[in-house]
Amino acid sequence: ILSNCPALHNLEWVSKVRVNTQAVLKRAQQVQGCKVAKKQWQAAWLLKAVTCIDLTTLSGDDTPSNVHRLCMKAVQPVRHDLLKSMDMHDKGITTAAVCVYPSRVADAVKSLKAANSSIPVASVATGFPAGQTPLKTRLEEVRMAVEDGAMEIDIVINRTLALTGQWAALYDEVRQFREACGHAHMKTILAVGELGTFTNVYKASLVSMMAGSDFIKTSTGKESVNATYPVAIVMVRAIRDYYLRTGQKVGFKPAGGIRTAQEAVVWLALMKEELGNEWLSPHLFRLGASSLLADIERQIYHYVTGRYAAYHELPMA
Amino acid sequence: MANSTSKTVYDIFQSMEYGAYSPSTAATARAWLERHSYSLGFFMDGKFVCPVDRQTHTVTDSTGGTVCSVICAKDEDISSCGSSASAGFKTWSELSGHRRAKVLLRLASTLQRYTQCVSELCDLCQSPCSLPALIRLTQYYAGWAQLQDTLMPEWIPRGVVAVVVSDDCSFHSIWLKVLPALAMGNAVIMVPGVKLAPPTLLLAQLFMETALPAGVLSVVTGDTSVGARVAKNNQISYLTYSGSQQDGEVLAKQTAGWGLTISLCLSVSAECPFIIFESADIDSAVDGVIEAAFKKKKDWQWVLCVQESVLDSVVSRLKLRITGLKCVPLGSESDRTLVDVAVQDALQQGATLIQSCSPPASGALYPPTVLCGLAPPSSAAVSPPPGPLLPLLSFRSAAEGVALGNRTPHGQAASIWTEDLNLALETAKSLCVGSVWVNSHSVMDPSLPQCGRRDSGNCTDGGKEGLYQFLRPSPSPALPRSTPTSLDYAAFGTTASGFMVPEGFDPSSVTCSCSQYVGGKLCKADSGCSRTVQAPGGAVLAHCPDGGRKDVRNAVEAALKVQPGWLRKSPAARALSLYSLSDHLEKRRREMAASIQAQTGLSMEEADKEVELSISRLSDWAARCDKQSGGMPPLPQTGSALSAPEALGVVGVVLPDAKPLLSLVSLLGAAVSMGNAVILVPSEKYPLPAIDFIQVLQASDIPAGVVSVITGRRNQLTQALANHSEIQAIWYWGSLEGCQFLQHTCSSPLKRLWLHCEEVEGNDGGKYWSHSSPSLQEEMWREAVVWKSVWIPTA
Repeated sequence: ILSNCPALHNLEWVSKVRVNTQAVLKRAQQVQGCKVAKKQWQAAWLLKAVTCIDLTTLSGDDTPSNVHRLCMKAVQPVRHDLLKSMDMHDKGITTAAVCVYPSRVADAVKSLKAANSSIPVASVATGFPAGQTPLKTRLEEVRMAVEDGAMEIDIVINRTLALTGQWAALYDEVRQFREACGHAHMKTILAVGELGTFTNVYKASLVSMMAGSDFIKTSTGKESVNATYPVAIVMVRAIRDYYLRTGQKVGFKPAGGIRTAQEAVVWLALMKEELGNEWLSPHLFRLGASSLLADIERQIYHYVTGRYAAYHELPMA
Repeated sequence: MANSTSKTVYDIFQSMEYGAYSPSTAATARAWLERHSYSLGFFMDGKFVCPVDRQTHTVTDSTGGTVCSVICAKDEDISSCGSSASAGFKTWSELSGHRRAKVLLRLASTLQRYTQCVSELCDLCQSPCSLPALIRLTQYYAGWAQLQDTLMPEWIPRGVVAVVVSDDCSFHSIWLKVLPALAMGNAVIMVPGVKLAPPTLLLAQLFMETALPAGVLSVVTGDTSVGARVAKNNQISYLTYSGSQQDGEVLAKQTAGWGLTISLCLSVSAECPFIIFESADIDSAVDGVIEAAFKKKKDWQWVLCVQESVLDSVVSRLKLRITGLKCVPLGSESDRTLVDVAVQDALQQGATLIQSCSPPASGALYPPTVLCGLAPPSSAAVSPPPGPLLPLLSFRSAAEGVALGNRTPHGQAASIWTEDLNLALETAKSLCVGSVWVNSHSVMDPSLPQCGRRDSGNCTDGGKEGLYQFLRPSPSPALPRSTPTSLDYAAFGTTASGFMVPEGFDPSSVTCSCSQYVGGKLCKADSGCSRTVQAPGGAVLAHCPDGGRKDVRNAVEAALKVQPGWLRKSPAARALSLYSLSDHLEKRRREMAASIQAQTGLSMEEADKEVELSISRLSDWAARCDKQSGGMPPLPQTGSALSAPEALGVVGVVLPDAKPLLSLVSLLGAAVSMGNAVILVPSEKYPLPAIDFIQVLQASDIPAGVVSVITGRRNQLTQALANHSEIQAIWYWGSLEGCQFLQHTCSSPLKRLWLHCEEVEGNDGGKYWSHSSPSLQEEMWREAVVWKSVWIPTA
C-alpha cells in the first residue's frame, strides 16, 4: 500500500487556502458577460465545444445498442453536409471521448474499433456516483475498466474524507487510483455539490492535482447541484495556482446539467478568461454532457441554413 | 471590418477569438441630436434657447468624430437663467413634498421609457452611465421629497443651487447632486462639462415631461470659466462642484468673497489605496484590482498595496491576468506624454513593469501597466498620472498597511481584501477615507453617504446625509451675498502684536492679568504680548494674552496628541465628561453671570439666563454623545453596509460676539461630543466670559488638550488657524473680509468651512443661540462629523 504523505509544505499550502464567496460569484457573473460575436464566430466556438465533449451515457438501462449509437454519434457529431458547407468536414470534428459505465466499456471499445475510430473510451469508476464502496473494490473497478480498454478513467473522490478534512488520507486514496489507472488518463470528480464550501472545493482540487490527476471534474451529474460557473471559477483558480507552483497543466471538466449551446460557449469563455487559449482544447478541457450535442447541432444547422431544425431532421444519439 | 468578415470558421476555430462586436450606431441618440440640428443651446425657463453669436465647443466621440456642438454662455445668458431659476424656485419650493415626489417618480418612469436614447447619448459623448442606477437614484430621492415635510420640518431649501461638474466626472455624479437638491425644493442651474452637456440637456428635456415647473431646472454650458461666472450671479445661494482638484481650487479662489456657500467634491483625482492583506482571497483580489485599475474611464486612481508575505503570489497572478488585456485609450495625446514621463521616472527609480504588451510608439493608447517596486516618495505613487498605470507598494504588517493607505493627501475611498473580519473592520475604522469596500470595490448605492476627507472634498453626497447641503434650518440666516473686496490675502491678519505701553493709572480698580488655555495649561501668549479687555463703557476689565500663530501651533499639537484617545473613549464616557463640565458650570454660575454682565453690560437677570441656558445646552450635548449614530441602510445587494459619523479631528472655532458664553458652549459641545478636539478663539470684543470659562474647563474632567482657548485679535488668529493643515474644519463668525480670506485660503489644502457674517447676523440680539429649535443642534452636530460608509458584501 502506498502511503507517501504529501510534502509538509504542500499540506500547508492546502491549509492556507482562502476563498471569498461573493467575489467568486461576482467574477462568475462577469465571465458570463463575455460575448462571442455572431455568425461564423458562434459556429466556430460551437464546433470547438463539440470537440471537447465527453459524450456520455450513464443509465441503468444502457445496453450495447444505445452505446453503439452513442459511439457513432461521437464519430460523426454534426451532420456531414452541415460541416461541409462550413469547410470543416475534413478537420477531424469528433467528440473528445465516449463516457460509459465500466460494464459497457467493452461494448464501446468494440463499436469504435468497428468504425475505425481512435476516439478514446472513458469509464466512470470507484463506486460511481457515491464512492461509498470499499477501497478494495473501487481499486479493482479501475483495473478492470482499464483492462477492458478504457483509455480514461473518471474516478470519484471520497467525500467523507474531504468533509472531515482528512486531506492526507484523501491524497493517499487518489494516489492509489492513479497507480491503478496505469497509462489511462485520470479525471477526478470532486462532486462539488456535496463539498459544502468553495474553500473545500479549492482544497479538494489541490489535493487531487497533487495526487496526480490529469483532469479535475466538477460533478457526477447525479448530485442535486452540478457544474455551476462560480464553482468552476474556484476550480480553475486552483488549476492556475497549481500551474504557478509546479509548472504542470491540469485539465478541467465541468459535467452535469450542461444542456444548451449558449452554456457551452460560456464554459469556453470561462476557460479562455481564467486560463487562456491553451485550455481551449480537448487535452485540457472537456465538457461532460449527453443532450448538449443535440442543441449545438441545431444551432449549427441554423447558422448554415438560416432555419431552425425539427428534431427529426438531425440524427439521434 | 472587411478583414474580420472574411475569417473562416476554421480560422476562428483555431484562434478562438471573441470576434468584434459591431459598435452601436447610436441611431436613437443621433435622431435626437438631429432634431436639434447637432447644435445644442442652453436649457432655461423650461425650453431650449439657442442664442446666436456664441462661441461653440465641439463634442467628439471615441473615434474623434464630431457628435454635436454646444455653445458657451455669456454673462447675459447667465443672468436671464438666474432670474428664471429664481422664479422657478418660488413655485417649486411652495409645492408640498408629496407633489415634488410625484414629479421625481414621473422622471423615473420617463427615464425607463427613454433608456435607449439616454444611454446611447451618454456612450456617444464618452460619459457612460448606468441607467438602472440613475433610476434607482431618482426613486430614492423621490422618497425623501415625500418625507421631507414629516421628517425634516424645520429645514428649508437654500434657494437656487448651482451644480458645476467638470468633464472628468461621471454623468451619474451630476444627478447625485441635482436630484437631492430638487427633492428638497431648490431650483437648480447645472453647469456640466462639454462632454456631459448633451446628455444633461436631454435629461433636462425629459424632466419637462414630468410637469416640473419652468425654471426649476436649467442647463448652462460653456468652458471652465462658466462655473465662476454663474457663482457671481446673486440669485444663487449655494454652489457645489464636482471635478478635479486643480479646477476646484481655482473655482473656490474665484468665488471667495461673493458670499456664496460652496462645497467641493474632488473625487476625480483622488488616489485610493487597494490593500491586499495576506489573509485575502488572492485570486479574487487580483481580479478586483484588474477590473478597477484598467478601466477606460476610471473613477479613482488606485494604488495597490500588498502585504509582503503574499507579494510574489500577487505579482505572478497579475502577470498572468494582465497578458491579453488590450491597450486602453487615454483621454488625449497630452495624457500620453504624462504617462510616458511617469513610466520613465519609475524605471529610473528602479521600478519594474508588468505590461500586457509593449506600448505603441505613439498615440493616445497605453497598455495596462503595473509599476512594481515603487516606494512612497516616487512621483508615480504620490500623484499617479491618468491612464492604465497601477503603482504597487508593499508593506510588512497590517498596521503598516493602514499607515501606507493613510499617507496621502486624499481621502476618498479604499478597497481592502482580507477574509479576517476583525482585521477588515479595524482597518476600515482606521483608514481616513469616506468609503471603504471590504473584498469589493467601487460599489455605490444612493442610500449610503459618500464623503471625501482631506483634499478629496468637503461635502457629503448620497443618503439622507447628502440632503443637508441643500437645506438650512429655518432660524439660521443664509450667508449674505456680497462682492469681494480687494484683499491682500498674504497680508491678512499678519500685523504683529505690539507690547503694551503704560498709560496713566486708575487706583480705584486693579485689573488682573488673564491667561489663555493651551493643551490643558494656563499660559501667556508665546509672543508675550497682551491686550486689554474692555467693558462696553470703556473701563479696562482685564488684560488677556494676545495669541498668535505659535499659540495655535501649540494648541494643535496638544490636540493631536489627545484627540485619538478622546475619540476612543466610549461615547458614554464622553457624555460623563461633558456632564461634569455642565455641573462645574452650574457651580460657578454666579461668577459666570457676573462675568457676562461685566463684559456685555447686560442685566444680571439676563446674564443669569444665558448661563442657565448654557448649562442646559452642555447637558444636551452630553446626552447626544451616545445617541448620534449611523446605521445599516437596507441595500438592494446582499451583504451589509454601515454608515457612521466620525470625528473630523481638530476643529478651529472663531466665536461670535453675540451670547459669548452660550455660543461658546453650544459650539464646544457639538464638536467635543462628536469626538473632536477644538481650538476656541473667543470674541475679540467680549472675551471675558470665555476666559472665565477656562476655570470651568480646568475643574471638569475633559482631558487636557481637547479644548484650548486662545485669546487675541480675530484676524490674526483666523489667519493662524487657516494656515495650519492639521486643522480639518473652521467655524467662523466674523467679518465679510474674514469669510473671503478663509474661502480663498482654505481651498488648498482643503478645509471644511462653516462661515457666518456677523455684520449681518449680529442684529438679532443672539436669538439664534437661544433658539430651542432641534434643527439648529442638528446642523451643529452634522458640521462636526464626516461620514464613513463601509461595505461588506456577502454571498
